[in-house]
Amino acid sequence: MIRRWRLELITAVAVLVFIAIFLIVSAGGNHEFTGSDDVGSQKIAELTGHPVESFKPLIPQYEPPSGEIESTLFALQASFGGVVLGFVFGYWLGQKKSLPGT
Amino acid sequence: MHIMEGFLPWQWCVVWWLVAIPFLVLGIIELRSMMRKDREYLPLLGVCGAFIFILSALKLPSVTGSCSHPTGTGLSVMCFGAFITSVIGGIVLLFQALLLAHGGLSTLGANMVSMAIGGPLAGYAVYRLLKNTPVNIYVTVFLVTAVADLVTYVITSFELALAYPAQTGGVPASFTTFFAIFAVTQVPLAILEGCVLALVFKYIVALKPEIILKLNVFSEEQISRARRQDEAEPSAGGRS
Repeated sequence: MIRRWRLELITAVAVLVFIAIFLIVSAGGNHEFTGSDDVGSQKIAELTGHPVESFKPLIPQYEPPSGEIESTLFALQASFGGVVLGFVFGYWLGQKKSLPGT
Repeated sequence: MHIMEGFLPWQWCVVWWLVAIPFLVLGIIELRSMMRKDREYLPLLGVCGAFIFILSALKLPSVTGSCSHPTGTGLSVMCFGAFITSVIGGIVLLFQALLLAHGGLSTLGANMVSMAIGGPLAGYAVYRLLKNTPVNIYVTVFLVTAVADLVTYVITSFELALAYPAQTGGVPASFTTFFAIFAVTQVPLAILEGCVLALVFKYIVALKPEIILKLNVFSEEQISRARRQDEAEPSAGGRS
């Protein structure tokens, strides 16, 4: 049995360890959990000696007006992927069931 | 791994766009000829694309106290190669640049070179190295995915270091600085992503092994051995 579900077990353990690390890190100090993209941008500002605000977009771009709208768009992105995933696996499962013996 | 809009001098934006464009063009040509040949590939293409969409939307907290996201390109590069992967990755990055202000149009070239081209190419190299060895196919998927993820961030660090060399130490010193931010954050994410995509690959093999065979991702013998291991208790030993 263990052999059959080996990969599932490994993945579950990896997820649990990941969560445990997160809990330990967030308990031990005041981390803000900002995106590493922003940390990178701050480093650029540090290296060049120009403040972050002085970096103006070269091409004007739309910015989500609030964190809520941004999270909606991210959720849309992920759910789009989820829909495709569920559809395809369901399609394959249906194909397999209707063609027994393969 | 996004370089934010405006954070790359325009000369470098042009350079990275020029690197990215041939990959996109070849990818689109390959996609078209594949679609004309056989529609059966479309569902698998959907799965590979879906994973890049989902995983790059998930910003996960990591050991350094900052958040980053996995890339999900490993599966796609194994099944369809680097050119087609660059197109799928490019679509995701374009979406994020246009709607989410994550990365921008001018830095899209640089971001594509790291996430949609460079990382997948490194993953592909690992795949070619391990393809004809007795290494378990799920271990291969794990390594390909993790390497594609990590190398994405190595390349981002490199791009930033080239554009912003440190005053003392130049490009290498600056590379170390950026690499320290991204790479340490990314190692746990890369491991997690490797596990998840290996698991997904197991389900693809269970449901639709013919497509993996048809694309010649792995040999028939490798796949049937993996399936035997999944489906039954082996009588004795077996490779792990």
